[in-house]
Amino acid sequence: MLQYLLRRAGQALVVLVGAAILVFALIHLVPGDPVRVALGTRFDPEAYEALRRASGLDLPLHEQLVRYLSRAAVGDLGVSFRSSQSVFELLMERLPATISLGGAALVVGLLIAFPLGILSAIRRGSAIDHVARIGSQVGISVPDFWLAILFILLFAGALRILPPSGYVPLSEDPLEWLRHVIMPALTVGLISGSIMTRFIRSSTLEANDQDFARTARAKGLHESTVLRDHVLRNAMVPIITVAGIQLASLLAGVIVVEVVFAWPGLGRLTYDAVLARDYPVIQGAVLLVAAIFLFANLIVDALYAIIDPRIRVR
Amino acid sequence: MMNTSKRLLLSLVALPLAIGIPTAAMAQDEGSGGTLVAAISGEPDQLDPQATTSYNSFQVLENVFDTLVEPDENLQMQPALAEDWTISDDGLTYTFTLRDGVTWHDGSPFTADDVVYSFRRIIDEPMANSWRFSTVTDISAPDDSTVVFTVSQATPNLLSNLGGFKGVAVVQQANVESGDIQTAPIGTGPFKLADYTSGTSIELVRNDDWWGGAPALDGVTFQFIPDPTVALTNLQGGEIQWTDNLPPQQVGSLMDSSEVMVESAPSNDYWYFAANEAREPYSDVRVRRAIAYAIDREALTQAATFGNATINQTAIPATSAWYYDYAPYTRDLDMARSLLEEAGVGDFSMDLMVTSAYPETVTAAQVIAANLAEIGITVEIRTLDFATWLDEQGQGNFDVFFLGWLGNLDPDDFYFAQHRTDGGFNFQGYSNPAVDELLDAARVETDQAARKAMYDDAAKMIVDDASYVYLYNPDVIQGWSPDVEGYTVRGDRAIRFRDVSLAQ
Repeated sequence: MLQYLLRRAGQALVVLVGAAILVFALIHLVPGDPVRVALGTRFDPEAYEALRRASGLDLPLHEQLVRYLSRAAVGDLGVSFRSSQSVFELLMERLPATISLGGAALVVGLLIAFPLGILSAIRRGSAIDHVARIGSQVGISVPDFWLAILFILLFAGALRILPPSGYVPLSEDPLEWLRHVIMPALTVGLISGSIMTRFIRSSTLEANDQDFARTARAKGLHESTVLRDHVLRNAMVPIITVAGIQLASLLAGVIVVEVVFAWPGLGRLTYDAVLARDYPVIQGAVLLVAAIFLFANLIVDALYAIIDPRIRVR
Repeated sequence: MMNTSKRLLLSLVALPLAIGIPTAAMAQDEGSGGTLVAAISGEPDQLDPQATTSYNSFQVLENVFDTLVEPDENLQMQPALAEDWTISDDGLTYTFTLRDGVTWHDGSPFTADDVVYSFRRIIDEPMANSWRFSTVTDISAPDDSTVVFTVSQATPNLLSNLGGFKGVAVVQQANVESGDIQTAPIGTGPFKLADYTSGTSIELVRNDDWWGGAPALDGVTFQFIPDPTVALTNLQGGEIQWTDNLPPQQVGSLMDSSEVMVESAPSNDYWYFAANEAREPYSDVRVRRAIAYAIDREALTQAATFGNATINQTAIPATSAWYYDYAPYTRDLDMARSLLEEAGVGDFSMDLMVTSAYPETVTAAQVIAANLAEIGITVEIRTLDFATWLDEQGQGNFDVFFLGWLGNLDPDDFYFAQHRTDGGFNFQGYSNPAVDELLDAARVETDQAARKAMYDDAAKMIVDDASYVYLYNPDVIQGWSPDVEGYTVRGDRAIRFRDVSLAQ
C-alpha cells in the first residue's frame, strides 16, 4: 500500500514539473505584454524599457525558465509583477475562501447527488427517477452566472435575508460565514450535484445489474443488505473518481461564480492575473491548481485501495 | 425513527430563520463619524500612486495622498501641499511655498525634500508619468518650505501636470525604498491605510492631522465588486453606501428613485475611433471623411451609453473653457458614397478592433458596422482582451480601432501626443505639418486666448482630416445611499470622501 502511494506521489511530481514548463511556454506565446499593461496607455519609451528591465523580462526565455524552476523548487514562487507581493503569500491568502466555497459546494452537491442518484437507480422508472433525471439535466444546462444573479436578486434583493456578495472567514464569524457562503455554494453545488447525480445513477444501475447482485438476491439476503454491502460498494469506485475530480475543479476556482459574488478565491486571482499578464501569479496559480488536482487524485487512489482490495495487491 | 425525522424537519425549518436574521448594519462604527463602505469594480493592482495606472487604484489613493496643487470641482488648479506659488516673468522658474505643519501618516514631518524626491523619481527612473515633465530641467529645495522648478521653455500646462491626478502624488522616500508603498502606502492625505485584505477590501481610517481639517467620517472601506447588478443590490440593501459600478441601462430609472441617490456629471473623457493611415484605403482622407459622414452619432451614443453622454465632434467637452464648437459631419450617406467614388474605392471590408475591457466599445462597434454597411463597407469586429489589444495597436495591426482617452485636463492632453507627427500615442499615423506647427506653438503659449485660438485651428484640421472621428464625452455616474452627505460627482472621476459625512 505504501509502495503504491509512494509511486503515485513520484509520478505526481513529474507531472507538476511538466505543468510548470507548459504554462511558462503558453503564457509567453500568448500575445499581450505585461509591461504595456502595467504602464497603461500613456508612457515614454524609456519608462517602458526601465520597467521591462526591472522585472527581468528582458532576459532570454530559457534563462527566465531556469530561474523560475530553480526558485520554485525551494518554494520561492516569485513576486507579483504588478504589486510585488509574494506569489506564495497571495495564493495562501486566497486559499481559505476557495476551500470554503469548494468544500461547501461539494457538500451541497453530494447531499443532492447521493440520495437522488441512488434512489433513481434502485427505483428506476419511478417518479423520483424522472425528477432526478430531468432535474439534473436542467442543472447541467443552466449557466452558472445566470443562476448566481437569480439567487442574489431573490434572496438578497427581494427577500433581503442574505447578503448579496462577499466573504467572511469562518474563523472570524461562523454565522456570517454561513450567510455569505450559502448562495455561492448553492449555485456551484446545484450544478456540480447535477453532474454527480447522473454519474451515481448510472454507476449504481450498472452495479445493480451485475451477476453478484443477482446472486446476493437469490441467496435471500435482505434488499438493504444487498444494496449496502454489494451494489453500492462496487458502485463506489467510479463515484469516488467523479467526486474527486469535482472537488479538484471546485478548488481550482469557479471563476464566474467568484466574480459575480465578489468571492476572493483562486479563480478570480487567476483571471485577473491572466488579463494583466502577471506571469508569476499565473504560473503560481496554475502550479497550485495542478498540485491540488494531483493531490485529489492521490486521495482518490488511496480510497480505491481501501475500498477495492483488488487494487491493493497490484 | 419518526421522532428523529420530526426533529430533523423542525431544525431544517428553524435554520433558515436563524440565518435570515441580518446582523447589525456595517455602516455604524465606534466613534461619531461612521465608516462608509464604497464598492469599486475591481481590486487595485498596487498602491504606489506613481507606479500604478489602474483607475481602481486611484479611487482609493485619491484619499490617501496629496499633490502640490489639485483641481477643484471646475478642474481649476488650487493650492494643496503648496500654499502659494510665483512664476518668473520669463515663465521658466516656478517657486512653490509649501504648507507648514504637514505630517506623513507615520508622524514624520513633510518637507520640500519629499517633493524633490517624488518628482525626481518620476523623471529619472523614468516612470509612467515622466512625459508630463519633459520640459523640467531642475528641481531644488532651497529650504524646507520651498521648492523651485526650472523649465526649458514656457510650459503653460505645468500646474495641471504637477497635480492633475494622484499619479503625480508626493511620496515618502523611506516608504518607497522599503517597497512597502505598494501594499502599505504612507501619504499625507485625509485618510490613512489601516488594512488591506487581498481580494476583499481596503480599509482607510481618518487622518486627524490632515492639513485640510480632519474628515467627518471615521473611515472608508473599499470593497471590490465586479458585477454591476450585484453592486447595485448591495447599495439598495444598505450593505454599501457608495458605488460607481452601476448597470448603465438602469441609470435612468435609478436617478428618479428615492431609494438611492444617483447623479451624473459630464466628464473630460472622450471616445473616438481612428483609421490606420499606413494602410490602403485609409491613407486617403476622402475615405476617412466618408466614414465620418456615414456614422449615426445619436444611435451610436444611445447604444453605447444609454444616453448618459454628450455627443461631440471634437475632443474637448462643452463644459470646458477650451471647448470648440465645431460639428461639420451631419449624417449624409450620399456625401459618403460620392467621397468613396472620388477616391476610386469600391466596396471593401474593414477590420474594427475593440476591447472587451470596455463593453461600450463593443456595442458601439455594432452600430458602426450597421452604419457602414450602408455605404458598401463590410465591418469585421475583432474583440480582444486589453493586453492583446494594446499589443496590436502598438504594432499597427489594425484597420480601425475604437477607444477613449480618459482623465484629460489641459488641451495639450487632448491633442498633442495623439495628432502630432510621430507623437507618442499617434498610432493612426496622422501627419499634418500645419497641425504640428500649431500644437508646438500652443505648448509654449502663455496667453490663454491666443492659446485657445491655436487649439481651435488645430482641432478644425484634425476633425476635417478625420485623424480621429470623435463621438462623445461620457458622463460620470455614481450612486450612494441617502445617508451620505457632502459628496459630489467630479468630471475628472476623482473620488473624494474628505468632505463626506454619514447621517446618524
